[in-house]
Amino acid sequence: MKQRIIIGIALLLLLVVIGFMVWDFFLSRPEGAANPYAYDLSELKKSDTALNRYEEALQFTPGLEEIHGIAVDPAGRIFVAGKNGVKVFDDSGKLLRKFKFDGYADCITLGLFGNILLGMGDHVEIYSAEGKLLEKWKPANSESVITSIAATGLFVFVADAGAKVVYRYDHSGKLFNRIGEKDPENRIPGFIIPSPYFDVCIGKKGELWVANTGRHELEQFSPDGRLVTSWGVASMAIEGFAGCCNPSHFAILADGSFVTAEKGIERVKIYSPGGVLKCVVATPEQFEEGTKGLDLAVDPKGRLLVLDPVRNQVRIFVEKLKKK
Amino acid sequence: MLNRRDFIQTLVRGSILAGLTLLTGALVYRSRKGGCESGFACGSCPKSDGCNLAEAKAFRQTVWQLDPAKCIQCGRCATNCVMSPSAVKCFHVYAMCGYCDLCGGYFKPETKDLTTAAEHQLCPTNAIKRKFVEDPFFEYSIDKPLCIGCGKCVKGCGAFGNGSLQLQIDHHLCQNCNECSIARSCPSEAFSRVPAGKPYLLKSFGKELLPDKKTTSG
Repeated sequence: MKQRIIIGIALLLLLVVIGFMVWDFFLSRPEGAANPYAYDLSELKKSDTALNRYEEALQFTPGLEEIHGIAVDPAGRIFVAGKNGVKVFDDSGKLLRKFKFDGYADCITLGLFGNILLGMGDHVEIYSAEGKLLEKWKPANSESVITSIAATGLFVFVADAGAKVVYRYDHSGKLFNRIGEKDPENRIPGFIIPSPYFDVCIGKKGELWVANTGRHELEQFSPDGRLVTSWGVASMAIEGFAGCCNPSHFAILADGSFVTAEKGIERVKIYSPGGVLKCVVATPEQFEEGTKGLDLAVDPKGRLLVLDPVRNQVRIFVEKLKKK
Repeated sequence: MLNRRDFIQTLVRGSILAGLTLLTGALVYRSRKGGCESGFACGSCPKSDGCNLAEAKAFRQTVWQLDPAKCIQCGRCATNCVMSPSAVKCFHVYAMCGYCDLCGGYFKPETKDLTTAAEHQLCPTNAIKRKFVEDPFFEYSIDKPLCIGCGKCVKGCGAFGNGSLQLQIDHHLCQNCNECSIARSCPSEAFSRVPAGKPYLLKSFGKELLPDKKTTSG
């Protein structure tokens, strides 16, 4: 009896060994083997914590697929645009209303009378505050890829990454001029837009700012298309913008400071009105690796709203001192 | 009391029994799957070249390829291919790329002088060539004999750029081994058999960026 037990155990062990060998030969995949060609990006993503003056105070899931655009109205209501719809939330993330449409909204801004302007691929659509389609503007160019819209009381500025220009319309959709169009005769180099990240914002004095992402600059233009000023430096360091197409998005604070979001090294920073780095809002550790398309908005309380399309969240950051 | 001789005999018999059981199980499994009696998968079957079974014919009409969407640039394409240098090469999807001067797949991070000096380049074998077009545009091309398929540039391009540099098996070089040694070690299972008539899996701008839109190029 004892012999049988021993033989049984031995056979069992043998089967275990055979099983292990089968797994090792045919099923296992080597993990953690050193890569002699490893390209470690982690060092690039570290930043000085002393610069980090913001913290995440709130986040909520808007309940839309493929969220790409965020805007805030003067009352602090948060508008989020995505696939097939727009949702409106109060400043605490409570859903107020929503409306649907067919298609993908890549960007959103608010126009006159609470109208909602959406960049729908190659054209702009305007909806009333209640979600009724009011206008559908014709694509200005067969190559159009609308990535951002900004509006003043008089004009609507539409960034077209496909044509690499900013269009100036009035609120009825009448096109006035193209800003930043390449013009070799007049030595205007045009915008360098290697990928569909091309943001526009209105400054505190109503001036137009454009992210020339291929040159890593923010540029200010007059309404007639004259370049007024620019700032920005290409660098992997925290002071600069790295890689292709950054800053991918930006927003402007009440004091004229710039909030910028980057891809590649995923981070959100604040620059002074003159383009000097003031502080970091969010570091790469706070985002999933490979996150792109962090649209930004600033609410009347000065809170920074970051639309995170990978986590599918609206993430709200506040200054640490203010929170205390 | 079991003596040593009996024990060894029992052990050998037991091993043979276990082996036979496994073999029988494999044969039963294979025969149920498609009538093959060899007990091998097509990829490792020594008779697959002359086999007339439908499964083997389909296998012969396919080739190995890696899916750039699954690739994690682990470096094994450079080290595990039976070819030297590897049959996996970097490909450049021109339709995607703006040919930026600051190409993250071309330059090492924090390079101050954006020149073609070897110490500034990310590629360990200087396989990426660039030609000035106009400020800030450069056209990039891959010197295939120099490329070892390490994927370093692919990682840089994906992290900082458009992801227009992608690894693919070059079918002018691939031996289409029955059992691809890179596929076996690929940690992300990016390798698969694809139809020989459509042997490349290069991706362009994905829907994750702009749904239903064409590409933009600089």
